[in-house]
Amino acid sequence: MRRIAPLLTLAALLWIAPALAAAPIPGGLAGNIYPVPTLPPTDSQLAVAVGSPMPDFDLPTVAGPRVKLSDYIGKKNLVISFVPAAWTPVCSGQWPGYNIARDIFEDNDAALIGITVDNIPTLYAWTRQMGDLWFPVASDFWPHGGLAQKLGILRSDGVSERALFLVDKKGVIRFIDVHDINARPDLGPLLEAMAKVHAEK
Amino acid sequence: MKAFTLGILAALILLAAPGSHALAAEASEAPGAKPLAVGTAFPDVPLIGPVSPELADSLGIPQNGPTPMAKVKAEVLIVEIFSMYCPFCQRDAPTVNELAALIDKRGLADRVKIIGIGAGNSDTEVDIFRKKFKVPFALFSDATFAVHSAVGQVGTPYYYVLKKTPQGFTIVAAHLGLIHSPADFLADVVAKAGL
Repeated sequence: MRRIAPLLTLAALLWIAPALAAAPIPGGLAGNIYPVPTLPPTDSQLAVAVGSPMPDFDLPTVAGPRVKLSDYIGKKNLVISFVPAAWTPVCSGQWPGYNIARDIFEDNDAALIGITVDNIPTLYAWTRQMGDLWFPVASDFWPHGGLAQKLGILRSDGVSERALFLVDKKGVIRFIDVHDINARPDLGPLLEAMAKVHAEK
Repeated sequence: MKAFTLGILAALILLAAPGSHALAAEASEAPGAKPLAVGTAFPDVPLIGPVSPELADSLGIPQNGPTPMAKVKAEVLIVEIFSMYCPFCQRDAPTVNELAALIDKRGLADRVKIIGIGAGNSDTEVDIFRKKFKVPFALFSDATFAVHSAVGQVGTPYYYVLKKTPQGFTIVAAHLGLIHSPADFLADVVAKAGL
């Protein structure tokens, strides 16, 4: 029996190996998304309007350097894309799309910053799963949602709205889309606004 | 000692078992996806969005839709459900272009056509994808996800291979995720469509 036991063990292991191998192991971005139920479309009161000056900000980014409003004034139009939270369904499918639209931003002399209220380590892990993003991803984690609060897009549960802001080279907000948090905004209206601002002399 | 050796051997076999490592999914998953079954009729979904005169002519449809898909002139139609926001679709785009070129090269272009439908994508977003990847076949928009819902709310990219019958298009094959070999994919299309 003592001689047979190891053989039986081996046979058992061989038998269960395919089952273990076939066990689903979630991988990559798609396999690690936290399911989120449908939420109220918006849950905050916008504190700025088209024509308002963009509130100042100075935020850390995943890549290291901080991003400040003053970096862009007089140099570039600026698009800010707030998404509610890392590792959630709609957010995880928004910035990869912006990744293939770089030419359009550049053609309109516009920079893009992606922002969430998550901390840097979380954003680091999440954005690495998206591949190489060409735009800086900044954290509005501390003071928590500071910029989101100035803009009036911090929801009562501490995440931000899904929102797009276009700021011109004078620092004036020219386009706002505080979108239904459950859906991805169509890029079309933003691109039209960018082209309109860029066409101004 | 013998048992220990066998244990090590078993552990090595387990580690070497194919697929035992975490593999990144090669598709953007869609919660609640219920792909349509092979052998069933494909819904006559509307094709929305402008296409070039050449592609409209090739498909036998007007340049501006919506056009019922059943109007498409093709013996076999490969329908790619994609999204410009899906990194896997972006990664797959050059391979699908190769597939289109291979269909041409094999002299099948009059019989086998490819179209793409951008799940949740507006005309603008479809156009970004088209230009970025120089897609040579017709892409249509589906801004409201209506088509996506009608075709089983599948993950992306998803490929339905359809064969024209007198009643419309019938599904003869389906594939979720990246196409690794355009040649193998086309061979499968040819076999399953009985070309």
